[in-house]
Amino acid sequence: MAKWGMVIDLEKCVGCQACTVACGMENNRLPGENWQDVIFFSEGTYPSAQLKWFPRPCQHCENPSCMAVCPTHATYKTEDGVVLVDWDKCIGCKYCMVACPYGVRFYTDEKPLVAPDMRKVYASKDDHSWNPPWKMPDAREDWKHGVGIQPHDVVSKCTFCYHRISKAPPGTPDLDPQDPKLREFTPACVVTCAPGARFFGDLSNPESNVSRIIGDKRGVRLLDQLGNKPQVYYVTGDGGAVPSSRAINKKV
Amino acid sequence: MNFTYPKTPSEAVAGALKMFGESHVTATIWKLSVAALVVSLAFVFYMLFTEGHAAFNTSSDGVNWGSAIATYVFFALTSSGLTLIASLSTVFGFKQFYPVAKRCIWLAIVTLIAGFSVLALELGHPFRMLWAVPLGMQIHSPMFWMGVFYTIDLLLLIVKFYLMWKDDWDSPFSHFIGNAGFVAVILASGMLGLLFGSMAMRPMWFGSATSLFFIISGALSGAAAIVVSVYLAYGFNPNNVPAPLRSLTLGDQLPKVFATLIGIVLMFLLTRIWVGLWSNIDGMEGFVALLHAPWFHLEVWVCLALPFLMMLSPSMQQVPKWQVTASVLVLVGMFIERLQFIVAGQNVPMFKGTWMNGVTPYTPSLTEWALVVVGISTALALYALGERLFNLCAAPKECMDVAGQLAQG
Repeated sequence: MAKWGMVIDLEKCVGCQACTVACGMENNRLPGENWQDVIFFSEGTYPSAQLKWFPRPCQHCENPSCMAVCPTHATYKTEDGVVLVDWDKCIGCKYCMVACPYGVRFYTDEKPLVAPDMRKVYASKDDHSWNPPWKMPDAREDWKHGVGIQPHDVVSKCTFCYHRISKAPPGTPDLDPQDPKLREFTPACVVTCAPGARFFGDLSNPESNVSRIIGDKRGVRLLDQLGNKPQVYYVTGDGGAVPSSRAINKKV
Repeated sequence: MNFTYPKTPSEAVAGALKMFGESHVTATIWKLSVAALVVSLAFVFYMLFTEGHAAFNTSSDGVNWGSAIATYVFFALTSSGLTLIASLSTVFGFKQFYPVAKRCIWLAIVTLIAGFSVLALELGHPFRMLWAVPLGMQIHSPMFWMGVFYTIDLLLLIVKFYLMWKDDWDSPFSHFIGNAGFVAVILASGMLGLLFGSMAMRPMWFGSATSLFFIISGALSGAAAIVVSVYLAYGFNPNNVPAPLRSLTLGDQLPKVFATLIGIVLMFLLTRIWVGLWSNIDGMEGFVALLHAPWFHLEVWVCLALPFLMMLSPSMQQVPKWQVTASVLVLVGMFIERLQFIVAGQNVPMFKGTWMNGVTPYTPSLTEWALVVVGISTALALYALGERLFNLCAAPKECMDVAGQLAQG
């Protein structure tokens, strides 16, 4: 069984947010509620300041604290290493959001992040939280795996596009969007990444491209000290660093 | 107040309805709290049906758990504390505490119901919880065990209260239920502490000391609640208080227990602040924010340090008005503590804020304040109901005699 993981090359990422848009379209996200985000921030002060960015999907941890705290098993890990939310079991207690160190989980019913509130503009007449003008075919919707437009009062998050990767041919080491046969099984953010900064494949296969990149280019994980052991690795190149290991100016 | 206590359920319902036309302190509390409950609950339901949980000021970006969870924790721990106070007589044999035991058990039931009610209104799917938690069997989750232990706690409290209602104070079964209830309440409040204390990624909450703090501070709010409720039941007039009860409240034992608990809680708070300000692990900046928050200073100086001095002072500790003042201040302080603890643990962003290090602001919305009113009015209404229907100052006859002699002597 594969253990799906992602590598993001920070030296190649240009911060274009195409991944965020592709994820939003693929997964019918509410505006502003980005399962996959590229977070912008500044470092240093003028005239020695720099604008920086950091792409951040769900880390699909090996030891997910969100799964351990969920009182109903609504958050679970599939055999192929993906952390998902069963929307039919979620009671909306938000404990998983409190326990996730990466801030990648969202509660459906909150104040709108972007005006106007699309849930009211495109109101749903059934159990869905809204009825967007563009949405994935009903056949792909799968609440047991947290795929589709979510219902009211549940927690949602990135699924690594589970509706795509779960249909990949067994034994595939890498889901390379350059290969026409594999493109439709590759996560939307990887397919759309213009500079090719994202790689997706089987971390348990030492021959896979992702395993090679992690080994050759010293892939690092975000907030690794917390023990969640993410399955998203970052390649930082010379002098690069993930946010948790950067110097910060404390201000409270 | 010489009530005729009902013997059957239909008499009890008739007694509750009759209270709307009566004019004693308990009836006034009943009428006001039922009115407050109806209004606040109607407002909360209206907001939940029209806006959903968007009516709350909680967000995925910052504070996920707000004042509703703080209110639940406040009531759940007050309930645990009341059970611990009842255990002084029912488990540990300090017979002078018997006159408040039945009242403690009833108040423990009503505060737990108030807490559960608020929690249910905060959850996205409260009815789904009823089957999803037991069927999920997620034994790694502290929330799962908290649910298990608080459910057992509530059932044991109800059985114990039923036995007391039937004047069964000393049978082996009654002792067994009392002992089991004591174990259950330690596990329940300790597990509620672990629900926060297990969070290694949230250093302001992390550690097993959180469980201990929850148990001790729960005992403090339980002690404060029982002092207020005893005087409340007698219209704040100490002359109305029956002699056995007076010997307990107006003696120096309850104030001493009270002062000790306040002192331990203050020590916990001060050492926590010390560790928080000294340590530089990411997330501890919330302690600096706490020092900047006026509510925190109100809690520490006015609601804890002041009552501590009052209950230590020989000239104040046995004076009813100062006992009530100290107790009310402690209850307010404990509510602020629950809110500050829960919010401060979340409003330093763990990941998104690593480069900004700001503090996410949070103020409860009107709907969230209405939920606080739902909790308080539920507890007060049920308290008044118990006062009217169940003779809450009942105790074993021999204890009442001994306590009465002590009061006269």
